[in-house]
Amino acid sequence: MVTKKEKRIGEKSPVLYFILPAIILVAVILIFPLLFALGISFFNWDLIDESARGFIGFSNFVNIFKDKSFWNALFLQLGFIFIAIPIETVIGFFVAMLLNREFKGVKVIRSLLLLPVFVLPVLSGLTWRLMLQPEYGAISFLLTKIGVSQTTWLAKPTTAYAAVIIQDIWRMWPFMFMFLYSGLINIPPSLIEAADLDGAGFWDKVFKIILPLLKPTFTTAILLRLIDALRIFSEVFVMTEGGPGNATTLLSLYIYKQAFRYFNIGYASAMGIILTIISLTIAIFLVRKNMMMESA
Amino acid sequence: MRKAGKYFLILVLLVSTFLFSQPYKGSTIKVLVWDDALTVAVESMIKQFENETGIKVVFERIPSGSILEKLALSVSGSKADYDLVSVDEPFVPQVGNLFMPYSAWPEGKIYSKIDLERDLIPGVAEGSFWNGEYRGLPINGNVYVWLTRKDIVNNEQYKKEFMQKYGYELDIPQTFDQLLDISEYLSTKGIYGFAPFTKNAEGATCEAIFMFESYGTNVLVQVGEHDFEVVLDKEKAVEALKMYKELCKFAPPGWEDMGHSERIAAFNQGKVFSMFQWPAIVPDHENKDQSVVAGKIYYGAPPAGPAKRAAIRGTWMLGIPNASKNKEAAAEFAYWWSSYEAGKELVKVGMTPARTDLLLDPKYVEQKPYFVGIFNSMRYSVSRPRIEKYAEVSDVIKVNWLAGVTGRVTPEVAIDNIIKGVNEVLEKYGY
Amino acid sequence: MKRKKIKKAIIIIVSILILIVELFPILIIVLNGFKRDIDIWSGNPFSFKPTLQSYKKIFQRSDVWLGLKNSILVGLISTIISLIVGAMASYAIARFDFKYRETVAYSFLVSRMIPQISLAIPLFMMFRFINLIDTLPALIFAHMSFNIPYVVWVLLPFFSDVPKEYEEAALVDGCDKKKIFWKIFLPLVAPGVVVAGVFTFMMSWNEFLYALVLTSSQAKTAPVVINGFMGQYAPLWGQLAAAGTIMLIPNFVITLLFQRYLIEGMSGGIKG
Repeated sequence: MVTKKEKRIGEKSPVLYFILPAIILVAVILIFPLLFALGISFFNWDLIDESARGFIGFSNFVNIFKDKSFWNALFLQLGFIFIAIPIETVIGFFVAMLLNREFKGVKVIRSLLLLPVFVLPVLSGLTWRLMLQPEYGAISFLLTKIGVSQTTWLAKPTTAYAAVIIQDIWRMWPFMFMFLYSGLINIPPSLIEAADLDGAGFWDKVFKIILPLLKPTFTTAILLRLIDALRIFSEVFVMTEGGPGNATTLLSLYIYKQAFRYFNIGYASAMGIILTIISLTIAIFLVRKNMMMESA
Repeated sequence: MRKAGKYFLILVLLVSTFLFSQPYKGSTIKVLVWDDALTVAVESMIKQFENETGIKVVFERIPSGSILEKLALSVSGSKADYDLVSVDEPFVPQVGNLFMPYSAWPEGKIYSKIDLERDLIPGVAEGSFWNGEYRGLPINGNVYVWLTRKDIVNNEQYKKEFMQKYGYELDIPQTFDQLLDISEYLSTKGIYGFAPFTKNAEGATCEAIFMFESYGTNVLVQVGEHDFEVVLDKEKAVEALKMYKELCKFAPPGWEDMGHSERIAAFNQGKVFSMFQWPAIVPDHENKDQSVVAGKIYYGAPPAGPAKRAAIRGTWMLGIPNASKNKEAAAEFAYWWSSYEAGKELVKVGMTPARTDLLLDPKYVEQKPYFVGIFNSMRYSVSRPRIEKYAEVSDVIKVNWLAGVTGRVTPEVAIDNIIKGVNEVLEKYGY
Repeated sequence: MKRKKIKKAIIIIVSILILIVELFPILIIVLNGFKRDIDIWSGNPFSFKPTLQSYKKIFQRSDVWLGLKNSILVGLISTIISLIVGAMASYAIARFDFKYRETVAYSFLVSRMIPQISLAIPLFMMFRFINLIDTLPALIFAHMSFNIPYVVWVLLPFFSDVPKEYEEAALVDGCDKKKIFWKIFLPLVAPGVVVAGVFTFMMSWNEFLYALVLTSSQAKTAPVVINGFMGQYAPLWGQLAAAGTIMLIPNFVITLLFQRYLIEGMSGGIKG
């Protein structure tokens, strides 16, 4: 009896020893702030005017529900994700197919293709902003050379939104490529050869052999991109500042504006809670459906 | 004994001169200002101020966009991490109550207290007025000044042709209608008549208010202590927007997205006839290395609309937080910054002074031709809407004005949306 | 045979074209760093005379030095702390059986998916309350909120892959569990720790939002300084590009040196 109890304690204490520091830190810098945000979302909390602070129950959430700018921002954020990620996936896949063969210099190409993924988001946003300037931007310059008339890309709602998405696609399809390529090289060539002998065409091979085998890789890569895209902020913030009008004010930018330009901390926190719930719902859904813990 | 007495006397004299000349010995003030060439210059002169007063100055420069946030963080009714803070005019209503009324500022011991009416150019102090009091000391004479190309209006051939076609003398445009005529005429000569401000930034709000005021209307009026009313006259506002759109027809390509840098570049390359500019940027136009039109610019008040001339004002004020513990030393620093002597040096690095004697000093009339223009323009200066929630009101005006100007919606819809949007903001905050 | 050759040639040409498109913006950044501003404004991106003007200017600016210093400090310190506590937690999750093990593991995973902006506001309010705004500790703590969960998950497969025999042998030798971790496991998963560390540092290095919200003048990091080059009136594209190029160097070195581990690093333990 005694020995058994001793053993239990002996086993338990190292777990706590190892895991507590991380849990405490995460509690302080993650869990507590989230609870704090939840709490303050029931308040009217002006950062400057102390007289304009007070408990207002669910009013913030009711107002958010009625706020057209909020719905617009949410729509833009989700639109961003559902346009950019599929395109990135398709490009990534076909380039992976293209480069899944040996020729001189292919290794260099494969490595260099990954560089955009590692460009700082801020720098990427600013560079695209520069390249799209009508008078002196490099892209505008090249486009006028092939006969496209000079346009203020970032001053028109549709083109600005498209530009923000294209910026993301430029930076992130190589990320998809990287994952899908690593999946492709693991497909035994014999499978493809067998299909070739059966006289299967290119699309047959893609749909019947490659895609089913790559499904887990696709899931991982898309999940990772999704996590990233739900948090997107800096690129767009520096590239368009949410403009023109509200055409690129994604939800994250709208929350920032409410908090740090209008100083409506309570209202912004309430929107932050909503965004968190959306993100976690998507994430947990995907994780539960597709993931098993690696460890034994 | 006599000798000792003499030494004692000398010692007393020495100590007392030291004490009297540095009446603030030992006090330290913290100053928060925006970051640009002017404040860099002020910082470089601080040693001189410290030597004369004995006040140690901790001078913190941060980007102008973050000042309000920093202020919100560090100054409240009961605590103040800074003794002197610079505030941009449109945000005076939001934070004004945190600052000591200027009427209560102490007299200076070394530098004399600035008399807002006598020492400063007329109109400039309005920028710091809120809730019945001046909330600080205006520090620069920042107002729209209108640039016109002298060389173009003085071109004999242009003069002749213009007279023939339009029936009056080609000259500095005094009204928008004249500006429109001249722009139309100059478009046949490859010159753009006008450069708007259409970037998604505060500058666009300024343009909207500038036009509205010229056409005799404004967005907001304060009724009662904590109540505002939207008073934008739809008819006049639509006219104003339509005129701006007309002018934009004669603007350089890319006019739908013009900010400071684009406007500076276009004007300096000699492509543009006439436009507004902020004084801080004017030295760029007069710099011969950067600008082909240096020396060819006339500076004055903006052209008039049907109602009046209007010029947007954007002065910075220095405010002393109510909770500051070093009010006297802080005031002394503000008086020093505004003094004629310090101003003389600051003018060299591009400060546009708020003092009449500096702005109209004959010494500068030649060197700084735009000083007189600023003085004239300030007489017509108008404010942007004065309300605590200015940032939100400004965004509503900016977004809808730009939508109207660039033709995404009709002028009528744009103005309707401004009225509706500002009303929504008022409603949201229970005004 | 001939058709095969043509096909191959087309593939090579297409690959190179794709590469050119992908590298074009990066090339613009690097080239602009060597241009005078007046050449950047002139339009044609390729006609210019190289100059070091912009580099000279940025190295004379105290805010650039401050930003780089802060970025390095925040990156290093938050990485080191995250590695230590993250590795310990990861080890516990991988090698011990305990109640709520899965819950704990998934909580770490899910916490990575909380949008930064939702955390930025409460963190701002918290640090404001304890007067830590515009200080490095505030930023270091904020960065650990995404770094610790990341390290835990990157290291999970590394810890799981260590064969049981090592542990048993050590236990026989009389080591306790704590010693086993520090003396045996940590060296065994060293490659994983390096990968985790390198990517953690890079995430901090790239981070912008927290730096924007939590700092103003003293603790601002290099990405914020770079954004500051946009200026109030006219952007300083040359200096922006020069500083940007410097910021890119560590990222690109990491990319090319750690090719083999990129997938592990980027997926952070998430496997389908």
